Amino acid sequence: MRPGFIWAVIVKEARDLLSNRLLLGAVVFPALIFAAIPTGIVAFIEVNELDPAQLGQIEQYLSQFPDLSPKLAAQGFIVLNFMAYFLLIPAMVPMAIATQSVIGEKTARSLEPQLATPMEVSELLIGKAIASATPAVLATWGVFLLYGFINGAIADPALTSLIFSDVWRVAMLSLVPLICLLSVLLGIIVSSRVTDARTAQQIGGFIVIPVIGVAVAGFFSGQASFTMQQVMVGNLVVALLIGVALVMGNWIFDREAILTRLG
Amino acid sequence: MDLVASGLGWATCSTEHAADDPMISAVGLGKRFRSLTAVHDLSFDVGDGEIFGILGPNGAGKTTSVRMLSGLIAPSEGTARINGMELGAQSQAIRAITGILTESPGLHDKLTARHNLGYYGRLYGLRGANLRRAVDRYLGVVGMSDAADRRVGGFSKGMRQKIAIARALIHEPEVLYLDEPTSALDPSAAKTIRDFVSTLRDAGRSIVVCTHNLDEAERLCDRIGIMRGTLLEVDTPARLRRRNGTASVRVELVGARQPASFLDLLGDLPFVEGARVVDGTLFVEVTDPRGDNPELVRALVEAGARIVAVREEAVTLEQVYLDMVGEVGERDARPIGEVA
Repeated sequence: MRPGFIWAVIVKEARDLLSNRLLLGAVVFPALIFAAIPTGIVAFIEVNELDPAQLGQIEQYLSQFPDLSPKLAAQGFIVLNFMAYFLLIPAMVPMAIATQSVIGEKTARSLEPQLATPMEVSELLIGKAIASATPAVLATWGVFLLYGFINGAIADPALTSLIFSDVWRVAMLSLVPLICLLSVLLGIIVSSRVTDARTAQQIGGFIVIPVIGVAVAGFFSGQASFTMQQVMVGNLVVALLIGVALVMGNWIFDREAILTRLG
Repeated sequence: MDLVASGLGWATCSTEHAADDPMISAVGLGKRFRSLTAVHDLSFDVGDGEIFGILGPNGAGKTTSVRMLSGLIAPSEGTARINGMELGAQSQAIRAITGILTESPGLHDKLTARHNLGYYGRLYGLRGANLRRAVDRYLGVVGMSDAADRRVGGFSKGMRQKIAIARALIHEPEVLYLDEPTSALDPSAAKTIRDFVSTLRDAGRSIVVCTHNLDEAERLCDRIGIMRGTLLEVDTPARLRRRNGTASVRVELVGARQPASFLDLLGDLPFVEGARVVDGTLFVEVTDPRGDNPELVRALVEAGARIVAVREEAVTLEQVYLDMVGEVGERDARPIGEVA
């Protein structure tokens, strides 16, 4: 594995991405929207008094924050509960970039000249994977930081502490990159089987279903946030899926298969 | 394209193979894709400083052959050595000394011409000032310096082809495979590319050209292989034309004697395969015009013929090609009649 080749691919892919405004928008906007919704609710609660008659209905949620006032506890529950949606960004965005990248190469027939160089297929795929995953990881982390600080500024610094908890810091540093990588690998695998980016993204869209399921289950269970144990189990499951995807990718993406089927 | 005018300036070819070994040597190469045999029993050599042309119809296996020889795909059978390196075990090293112009330019549309070449320069190991120099140089070679910072997505077909050619040259490869190098180019640009390829040959590079352009193959290539699954015939363009039939020599006469009166004389000459008169002109079939024509002219003059012109009506490469690949084509040479 030679870093120079991987870096060359990353730089090329970054230039490609930066010149594609639509795709660049697809990286940033979902993250901002997912963060804006709960932030709006927090701001709404901040400027409006909670109806004491309704407190009973959400008491089971608020009881998870015994040290906070009911109003701040409600805001805390909102910001934490919506954070599961942060995992949608690394699931969706890298797949869009990866499918666009591979299908774009297929359409332009640009894989053959790249594979005619001394670069190995694995170096090309790793470069593409890093280049596709990095914008989503950076977007997620950037919006995570904004989310923590803005909500703290709107309501109370206690919200910032809740958002930047140990569990979420670990999730951001481990689960988010892992989900990104899985999403990229699945995007590349799906791209090898179809001829246009839209179809690839539609098929690849199924990957977000388990993540949405986790978020919705969290909401209805009344659990405000993940536990450290759940994050670790999530890491393990995603890592196993990455292993499966790597085996499949290695099988699909040998040099000859790329040239005869994709080139 | 100042490089052609000013000399190539490439480093001397770093020959790894023995002096009497060819740069490219393929022995019994074959490639199967499941039940389809794309190429079989492909054997040929290409020497240092030689341009070898591969002619063949669509689906003849030209692209598959080039992909095998350039280390892109593994052969199903046979072996090949490129600059002394074994195909398969040393494919990565082979790719490093190989330049390839693919059938489709395969450029990255969102990148500029400079960034396209820069990317490939890096993949071939160029860095820093060397990379920048190479990019500028080959943009100049193909006459694209003015468009260097424009995205290639907006380029015409010919401009894209030029950038693809620059990409194949950027690391100054020792072996070059060119698939239809002048397709999509205007005549002037095509000539410049042909001249440049000839210059590369003079610099000792071994070049394989796949083309449908028979005129180009004849003008550019030292030897030509006609391919259909395997190489049906390999030779110089001149010998290919000769070995597949006799040449017809057109002899124009003036004076009182009718051309037909010489047919009996011609029938007695041992090297004449046939002769006839068409529209007052004598057509004589011989196997070796270069060797036989002086004797033919002498015999006719001694018999009283007043000759004003003698011209070889050679079999064209196109005719040879069409005969070999099994298609019926128009013949440039006139039909040859029975011996009188």
